[in-house]
Amino acid sequence: MSIVDLTSMGKSQTELRKEINGQLSKLQDEISDYCFQCAKCTAGCEAHKLLELEPHKMVALLKRGLIDEMVNSDIIWTCMSCFKCRERCPQRVAPVEILFALKNMAVVSGKQIPGKYTAMLQSILSIGLIQDVQEVTTRDNKTMKRDELGLPSLSKPCDPAKFQVGLTKIAVEKV
Amino acid sequence: MKKKYALYPGCLMPTEQYAYELSIRESLPLLDIELVDIDGFSCCGEPMKSVNRLLTLYLSARNLALAEKHKLDLFIPCAMCHLALSECRHILGNNPEMKKRINGMLASEELTYKGTGEIVHTVDLLHDLVGVETIKQRVKKPMKGIKLATHYGCHLIRPTEIGRPVDSEHPMKMEAILEALEAETVDYPEKLDCCGGILQINLPESALTKTGQKLKAVQEHGFDGFVDVCPWCHKMFDSRQSKAGETVAAKLDVPVFYLTQLLGLALGVKKEKLGLELNLSPVDKLEFG
Repeated sequence: MSIVDLTSMGKSQTELRKEINGQLSKLQDEISDYCFQCAKCTAGCEAHKLLELEPHKMVALLKRGLIDEMVNSDIIWTCMSCFKCRERCPQRVAPVEILFALKNMAVVSGKQIPGKYTAMLQSILSIGLIQDVQEVTTRDNKTMKRDELGLPSLSKPCDPAKFQVGLTKIAVEKV
Repeated sequence: MKKKYALYPGCLMPTEQYAYELSIRESLPLLDIELVDIDGFSCCGEPMKSVNRLLTLYLSARNLALAEKHKLDLFIPCAMCHLALSECRHILGNNPEMKKRINGMLASEELTYKGTGEIVHTVDLLHDLVGVETIKQRVKKPMKGIKLATHYGCHLIRPTEIGRPVDSEHPMKMEAILEALEAETVDYPEKLDCCGGILQINLPESALTKTGQKLKAVQEHGFDGFVDVCPWCHKMFDSRQSKAGETVAAKLDVPVFYLTQLLGLALGVKKEKLGLELNLSPVDKLEFG
């Protein structure tokens, strides 16, 4: 089991791609019926103020079927997943969910995954958590470890091999 | 009434946000909450939602199933984990086909998700289950004359559709808890603004700017301190405060606490036991009796 199975173009990924495509088509149908471009999502968007993400435009692009264009754009990775757009949409469209689907599509299409996502995924695959126990610093610059603070041992998957078998199925199963 | 929960630590709290865990383990037993540690939990999957949503669903279901196996309800202190597990319950509760598929995958670890367990976060545990009146009665060191700003965290308050422990546009439960400790709380325009935490993964500079903008506003409003209930948010507002200040050209000087640290102090727990030395923001600015 390696990160490649979950993120790149193995045979199983064709199935996964098909499935995400299906999700996007379904979203596209729903949106075409409901979104009337009021832009309430963009008005509240946390990433809009700082990084110029405009959720209502993403919805409009999906409506027109410009999926590849969005999958290839960096803008989909600026969403902070604050869920304001999903919460406030008067028509119950959820731009944040569209963005998740688009990012999943970018990953399964073999696009480079930005930032620390790959490292975090790798860590989940090996120890079940996004990172292992860290040393921390106090305000007086003393370093401390988890056990030195009297905290019990870390809860993580007891049998990593069995845990990985479960995860492997995600790469093989349809989404 | 004594209530027992399995503590679901998630990733961030047990690997670096020790102050939250320490203050939870010290203060909640004083309110008749018994916490049980279970071995075998994994990441909730929420940070991986951008990579693969099925992975998120699977990991969340796995943790819920593990708690069910031990016949325990879950106490989830992290807002992000709480969202992931809530959403998993929502999706699998409404989609029997997906539930079957996930359970097929869970079989490799001899787990089954049934959907029988309950989950709580710090805020609803304290506000709804323990109750403000009980907290009031147990306060030994009231926090008079301290004006605090609250931060709930996006993942705790939205989306309402899947069931969240507090109101999405006007959350007030933290205020009620802090007022039970006799601290003062005041609403402020930036209260619902995001910490930017998720962007740490791929756009760290922008993440810090979000943090800096909110803290700068809090500082300008003249609050004595800032209170949060999520390890991701706290990492931004406390651990990264000075760096966040650089991004907005401000010298930030805001004491940032976990709600459970203040709760512990008010209940009479010694400062040293609440991990206060691990807060990197200037928490010494506030004098506690």
